[in-house]
Amino acid sequence: MSETGIRPDVGTETGTETDGEVGGDREQFTGTDFERVEDHRILTGRAEYVHDITPENCRHMALLRSMHAHAEIESIDTSAADEHPDCDLVLTGEDVAEQYYPMPCGLAAFEEPPLAVEKVRYAGEPVALIVASDRYVAEDVLEGISVSYETLDAVTDPVAARENETLIHESVGTNVPDGERFDFGDVEDAFEDADHVVEGEYSWGRISGVPLETAGVVATYDPKRDAFDIDCNIQLHTLVDDTVYETLGYPPEKVSLNVPPDVGGSFGTKIAIHRYCCLAAMASQQLEGIPVKFVEDRLENLQGGDMHSTQREYRVRLAFDDDGSVHGLDTWFVDDFGAWPRYPVNQALKPLSVLTGAYDIEDVRYDYEIALTNKTSQTAYRGFGVPPHLYVLEMAMDKAARTLDMDPTEFRLLNMIGPEQMPYRLPSHNVYDSGDFPAALEYIRDHVEDEERAEGGLLDPAVVEEKREEGKYRGVSCTLHIEPGVSGSDWTDRQRSDRDALEAREREEVDELPEHLRGEISRDGTVRALLATDSSGQGHQTIVTQMLADELEVLPSEIEVEYLDSVAAPTEYGSAASRMAVMVSGAATGLGEQLRENCCELAAETWGVGRDAVTYREGGVERLDGGSGGDANSDDDDSGNGGGGDGDESDDRLSLADLADLDTAGGRAHERFTRASYDYEHPATALEEFDEALTGKFPVYPTAAFAANAPIIEVDAATGEVEILKFYSLRDCGTQLNPTIVEGQAHGGIAQGVGAALLEEFDYTDSGQPQAVTLFDYLLPSIDTVPEMDIHHSETPSPFTETGAKGTGEGGMIDAPASIASSLNAALAPLGVHVDRIPATANRLRNRIRDAEAENS
Amino acid sequence: MSTDATDPSTEQPTREISLTINGEDVVADVEPRLKLSDFLRDRRGLYGLRIGCEHGVCGACTVSMDDRIVKSCLVYAVQADRSDLVTVEGLADEGDLHPIQRAYHEDHALQCGFCTSGFVMATRELLAETPDPSDEAIEKGLADNICRCTGYQNIYKAVRRAADYTQARADEEGRMGERDQEDDA
Ligand code: FES
Ligand code: FES
Repeated sequence: MSETGIRPDVGTETGTETDGEVGGDREQFTGTDFERVEDHRILTGRAEYVHDITPENCRHMALLRSMHAHAEIESIDTSAADEHPDCDLVLTGEDVAEQYYPMPCGLAAFEEPPLAVEKVRYAGEPVALIVASDRYVAEDVLEGISVSYETLDAVTDPVAARENETLIHESVGTNVPDGERFDFGDVEDAFEDADHVVEGEYSWGRISGVPLETAGVVATYDPKRDAFDIDCNIQLHTLVDDTVYETLGYPPEKVSLNVPPDVGGSFGTKIAIHRYCCLAAMASQQLEGIPVKFVEDRLENLQGGDMHSTQREYRVRLAFDDDGSVHGLDTWFVDDFGAWPRYPVNQALKPLSVLTGAYDIEDVRYDYEIALTNKTSQTAYRGFGVPPHLYVLEMAMDKAARTLDMDPTEFRLLNMIGPEQMPYRLPSHNVYDSGDFPAALEYIRDHVEDEERAEGGLLDPAVVEEKREEGKYRGVSCTLHIEPGVSGSDWTDRQRSDRDALEAREREEVDELPEHLRGEISRDGTVRALLATDSSGQGHQTIVTQMLADELEVLPSEIEVEYLDSVAAPTEYGSAASRMAVMVSGAATGLGEQLRENCCELAAETWGVGRDAVTYREGGVERLDGGSGGDANSDDDDSGNGGGGDGDESDDRLSLADLADLDTAGGRAHERFTRASYDYEHPATALEEFDEALTGKFPVYPTAAFAANAPIIEVDAATGEVEILKFYSLRDCGTQLNPTIVEGQAHGGIAQGVGAALLEEFDYTDSGQPQAVTLFDYLLPSIDTVPEMDIHHSETPSPFTETGAKGTGEGGMIDAPASIASSLNAALAPLGVHVDRIPATANRLRNRIRDAEAENS
Repeated sequence: MSTDATDPSTEQPTREISLTINGEDVVADVEPRLKLSDFLRDRRGLYGLRIGCEHGVCGACTVSMDDRIVKSCLVYAVQADRSDLVTVEGLADEGDLHPIQRAYHEDHALQCGFCTSGFVMATRELLAETPDPSDEAIEKGLADNICRCTGYQNIYKAVRRAADYTQARADEEGRMGERDQEDDA
């Protein structure tokens, strides 16, 4: 596993020192490989994940789930369960519907019951709940419930679902509740006038994030306050809390969602665990406040855990001329949302933010339909609908290059957006902020040529030839992809807005969510910061610690970062959509400034001097006029920061501890100086560049991180098995706040991309039975399937963000599937095989190769 | 609908087991169906082992049983009778990091951390058997553990670093041992 430390000078305006000691004698922490503050508690087994929380007298919930994909519920007999001596509570869908409300969905016409009523719409849908003394007993009691079903035809093919032969929701009257066609430019003309048009049909298999930790909830109803406290590992707890409080029928301040500092991964998926939060809360209320715990088991999670993600069927056309210039792109797809169109319906829209990828294409059609089927509902997954779009775009580019018999890299370079076009406005109105895409692609191509095409390299022509004689096909493709970062929030309800009315919308009506951060200086001189968003392994505590240490010129050990629950925090977007690097770093910078200013004001007031007579330095405030006695004590000790509040108050310097002491002493009437909060505005809100996108509710993603990839691949033609021999990648996410964390995000994202491209899929039988219900069926990449990665970095700061950072949480998963599929095309070019379906499992590839061989012979 | 908060009243058969957990002797009555993973977490408060699948694929529940790692979700507590168990909590003194844990920290080989105890336990066995493992040996030794966050790249690095730390410690102990012997002589 080599990791080159190369930081090539591609479009780089400023370099970053990685080992501290930048400027002056103060050590800087931001931009360094500062080690994570989260690790110690995790490594020693002291971290508390929600699965570890079990209050005294806690009871346990289990769910009865439908084994049918589509059926009427004729009757439910709970009498045996009711009579079971260890059963505390039984609830059916009707019981719940009597007292509570349906769960909000992503489209206005839908209201989803937390437990099925009248009908089940997918195998695994919860039908009844049991509470008992422990989970083993609760599952025993479940056997005392019998449900009689009248089965219905199952709908599993999203394309056929559009015929509406069998309806998933009769009251809605269609299986296609949403769709929209966008024409940017003159698409018809572009296709008519072009020398060539290629067409293709492509599939993207149903995949998801599958974090190692499943959903978990401990809900406690407090009868005295008539309020709920819910510990859970939901993602975006301040944004999606409406899915819980509305269902319970309470105002937001009565339902506190509290996410522990440690969550065992989410990748978007846990945004959708509200059903469990609601049911456990209802059960606790029914039991008059006894805490109720639910931990989803892995089979439930895979079968019916509301956590599958994107599954798409595409038709794509590309129009281009003999000289290789591409003029038109036309994509149409059906997105299989399963039984309920939940929150992430806008996954179907996000690709508009990277509509033409890294290419300059003027005339584009984007047309989608959301189809409902008898499958578990979709949730978000890293990339939020973008990875399939980039995959089909690159497949079309490969096909076009092949048609012209042009080198695919040259073909790509010919059509690539140049650095002189930055900031670049896409036909779909989003704007790429910065980057030299062609230079990045050339860099990775040249690097791979030098390293691997040479003698003894993986692509040494002699070796490639030798391997081919053994039936092994090697190849590489160099592709460059954009990771749209820092989603705006205002556009995300486009599908619930009157779309015709959007034309007339004014800029003032745009309502974005800022990032909120609080800080407080304690009397011992330490600083406590409070995040309004949740984390699931990304290291947000570390980033805030580094940044505040620099802002306040104190040691990182003086800083403690904690989290606010959904009641204490304002409504926020949260950790999603590659937002946090930009948003939380912007907020930390602002909070630091605010606190420094407050400290100066307090010190000036204390000394009775003007604001200009003091300055902030090294974790304290100093007097510029040298201190002229007054009532402060007269000996001239130069106390540093920290230490207790007493005794180290000198004439000309007040430490953070002194200031906190002064601020809290004597019941001062004013607002506290040593307590502050800061809201970092979304970067697009102040930029004219985004006016059209914002007012029209087109996806707004103001940072364009990018990656030039070159996975070297070998396919065994006899078995269809794929080995990625090495994964080269040059990555640029603007200013890196912590290069180690950035690199970790890249590694993890690429590994998930490998899974998506080659292994993972939630398949269904025609009768709607899920085929991947264990981790033996849903294949997560393991240490022996993830390739060696050789990651290079460049830094092109974002001109749009406070710190120059760009979002980088989703990159690898966004770009690896497309680049792996393109390398497969390169490797299999001699056989004429073109990838049209991922995951490209061994079986599928073997079939394609066999068909191609039959055709060629 | 019915509500009726009860204590468990159905008599479940139990069996007594006695075993050593992180050096401490433990005697407990357990139901034969109780998984070792649930016993250690819920009855002994050893939350360092995590439950990711309960069917033997993910390795988050890995513990050492009589010096061999096992997936504790595939073992019943009664099967651990008379055994010697070590969990991640038993590796270092309260608050300290074991050299393997230190290496995982220094090489950023954990993100969400849910898999980490399992990896640390598997690494411990790997290094006990292969003090200086090749990449192939690391791959083989850790192939039964899944990490969804790190892409494994930094896990290779951490294992190599842990091997160095362990080697350095062995050398140190070796030298001290020699010195002791010289002193004795
Ligand atoms: S929980 Fe035991 S192997 Fe996954
Ligand atoms: S660090 Fe999250 S699963 Fe390994």
